[in-house]
Amino acid sequence: MTLLRAKDLTKRFVSRGPLRARAEFTAVDRVSFDVRLGETLALVGESGSGKSTTARMIAKLLDPSEGTLEFDGEDVTHAKGAALARFRADVQVVFQDPFSSLNPRHTVERILMAPLAYQGIAPNGSRRAHAKELMERVGLNPDHSLRYPAQFSGGQAQRIGIARALAVNPKLVICDEAVSALDVSVQAQVLELLRRLQRESGFSYLFIAHDLAVVRQIAQRVAVMSKGRIVELGDTGQVFGDPRHEYTRTLLAAIPRIDPEWDRRRREKQ
Amino acid sequence: MSDLLVVEDLTVTFPTTRGLVDVVKGVSFTVGRDETVGIVGESGSGKSMTSLAVMGLLPKGARTSGSVRLDGVELLGRPDRELRRLRGARMSMIFQDPLSSLNPYYTVGLQIEEMYRAHRGGSRRAARTVAIDALRQVGLPEPERRVDFYPHQFSGGQRQRIMIAMALVCSPALLFADEPTTALDVTVQAQILKLLAGLREESGMGMVFITHDLAVISSIATRVLVMRQGEQVEYGSAEQVFAEPRHDYTRMLLESIPRIDDALDDGVRA
Amino acid sequence: MARYVAGRLAGMVLILFLVCLFTFIIFFALQPDPAVMICGKTCTPERIDQIHSVLGLDEPFVGQFFGFLFGIFAGRDYGQGANLVHCAGPCLGYSFQTGQSVWDMVVERLPVSATVAIGAAVLWLLIGIVAGLLSAVKEGTWWDRTAMGLALGGSSIPNYVLALALQYVLVVQLQVLPFPQAVAFGDDPVVWFESYLMPWLVLATGYACLYARLTRANVIDTLAENFMRTARSKGLSPALTMRRHALRPALTPIATIFGMDFAALLGGALITETVFGLNGVGKMAADSIAKNDQPVIMAVTLLAAFFVVIGNLVVDLVYTRLDPRVRITAQ
Repeated sequence: MTLLRAKDLTKRFVSRGPLRARAEFTAVDRVSFDVRLGETLALVGESGSGKSTTARMIAKLLDPSEGTLEFDGEDVTHAKGAALARFRADVQVVFQDPFSSLNPRHTVERILMAPLAYQGIAPNGSRRAHAKELMERVGLNPDHSLRYPAQFSGGQAQRIGIARALAVNPKLVICDEAVSALDVSVQAQVLELLRRLQRESGFSYLFIAHDLAVVRQIAQRVAVMSKGRIVELGDTGQVFGDPRHEYTRTLLAAIPRIDPEWDRRRREKQ
Repeated sequence: MSDLLVVEDLTVTFPTTRGLVDVVKGVSFTVGRDETVGIVGESGSGKSMTSLAVMGLLPKGARTSGSVRLDGVELLGRPDRELRRLRGARMSMIFQDPLSSLNPYYTVGLQIEEMYRAHRGGSRRAARTVAIDALRQVGLPEPERRVDFYPHQFSGGQRQRIMIAMALVCSPALLFADEPTTALDVTVQAQILKLLAGLREESGMGMVFITHDLAVISSIATRVLVMRQGEQVEYGSAEQVFAEPRHDYTRMLLESIPRIDDALDDGVRA
Repeated sequence: MARYVAGRLAGMVLILFLVCLFTFIIFFALQPDPAVMICGKTCTPERIDQIHSVLGLDEPFVGQFFGFLFGIFAGRDYGQGANLVHCAGPCLGYSFQTGQSVWDMVVERLPVSATVAIGAAVLWLLIGIVAGLLSAVKEGTWWDRTAMGLALGGSSIPNYVLALALQYVLVVQLQVLPFPQAVAFGDDPVVWFESYLMPWLVLATGYACLYARLTRANVIDTLAENFMRTARSKGLSPALTMRRHALRPALTPIATIFGMDFAALLGGALITETVFGLNGVGKMAADSIAKNDQPVIMAVTLLAAFFVVIGNLVVDLVYTRLDPRVRITAQ
């Protein structure tokens, strides 16, 4: 079943300042894709590919210049008021930099309960109990619910960001480079957490990333973006194993790999 | 022939509000002429501090002990006046973020020329010819014209090429590359790695390549030093570290790398 | 670039027009009838009508306003028949108080204010930047702490307190300086210098303290930039590293702030000029406000606005020369 349908999404930026001539730049050019219920669709590309702009249009943080966005069978392209509030409760975003997206002056409990307050949703039991339950779900110590973000490591802070997204029981979680800033050992743990949460709750991910190896670990389908367009969209196995587009092949070939012979020897010993 | 760089029991100490903190704790390694040694570690491992200590570029107040010998000459405890003659001439360095590492107020030509003239003297005109040649050598198109451009007029990859051209303009014997490709797109990273490896081989210099990315290290280094929280975890040939890691931490790091060539094996696939 | 400057000039004209309009509304329309003040105690309705006619106050507001505007560029006539007075352009009207042409008053006093501003600016740039630089380089030392403590104290002393204190100490007690006199430079350079020295010092103190702190903060920020690490890694001498790589990025923002401060000062240093009895635009402003001399108030307000707007434009144009990142986008 289709949860989200983006059709011909286009974003043009017009820059005109006192110091430069009017210039138009198409950041996203007629991008179309579906996100099915319970799946992970990855949007990959290099800097300037338009993947982040697309993500922001999907999250309705940015209005598309053209195209339509359907969510749960409803056209939300120009949603306002109650319809937009409903959409915001169903779609949550996890950002790249955990610290800058968490208010440093608020306790974890307050951060986690903020989405509920915005949506006017009552917490599960008391606020404290609900916050602790969320912390437990993302593998944080629930006794730390009154601590501040600065008292957590980068990986833990990202878990707080994930818990905040889960607070309102979303149908779609947009991960915008959510694991890019993390050390590789922490990254592996957070990816595992994201997979487990999806198994438990059955929501969908729109996973924005520049790291193809990370994408391979989490996505069922992959859309490869380049210069504002989707150049290839398919099952992860197909895109990685049998890439059809020249750009995808270049991208895959450019990824540094550990000498396969060394890797095989190491794995055999274990 | 003796080793180019010998680091023995290097310790770097910072005074902080909570007393003295060792950010590098007794690290030892050697770099031969004509080889690349990789230093790998996660954030806070002390890998960058190690290279800054060798270059004599540690922040004010930092203390060092142990021994660092370049061409058999002890560097630790030498006055800055003498180290300055070596920096840029015998050993030089490139950094992670080429945009902020270049001064935005001056043309790239001037920034290369001033380095050349600081060590070799000569007229601006002569230095300019050298700068143009250096830019050509790193594969920058139209170097005669672009020598007069400012850093912001280049792309990220081109800026790193300019940094490399600058670092190599005095033909140093040793190059430190501190996460030189981390901020770059994967296709650009591949080009820069190839360029660095090629230039190193041509000139026969020694290189210390610092990164958090094990796959990058495996493609460029012959010897690898693994660091964690200032300590040396493992040091050996690349083949030994990657194929037969001795330390649990190294094994954990290698396990954490998301695999680009393997399919998911835990049934997440739709 | 030419298009940009043309656009900015058009914006400037609009701003000056609006300043004109609002000043006119506030000081002409909302104030008590100047004719009554001029007329004095032995006043008749006929006399008031006559004054209204001479000053053009019998016209409706819009007519008065455009008459004023037109006068600035082309000159205008006041009154009719035997009472007709022609005021040649640029005409800013006549002082209610002295009957003098306001334009002539401005022309006469502007050099005094400019002298005060230029001298003070030289002093505060020199002292402020040097002190700030030293503080930044010696960050955390006793010199830094002392200098920054003084700078904080200095910038919190009101100008009139400092002016009176200086006058008391240097003129009355120590008698090392004469009381400021209106002497032209050509007549007696020594007395001229001595007369202006105190106003310069007073004005420069506050700015110097502010600039020292700004310079220190900017230099410290710049020293922490990655490109400074690069410069050191290249083996450049500390002198070259500082002079070339740190100073220009650190001082460029100061240059823009200086432009604005200096422009504002050209419009008159009200307190300083008044305390030292200097016949500048600032004192003219103070006097006119005290005596509700509306044409003069109009003129000093417009003059100040003019300098600020011009200063803004000059700063922006200079910035495109100082910072290559802005310069390239402009083309």
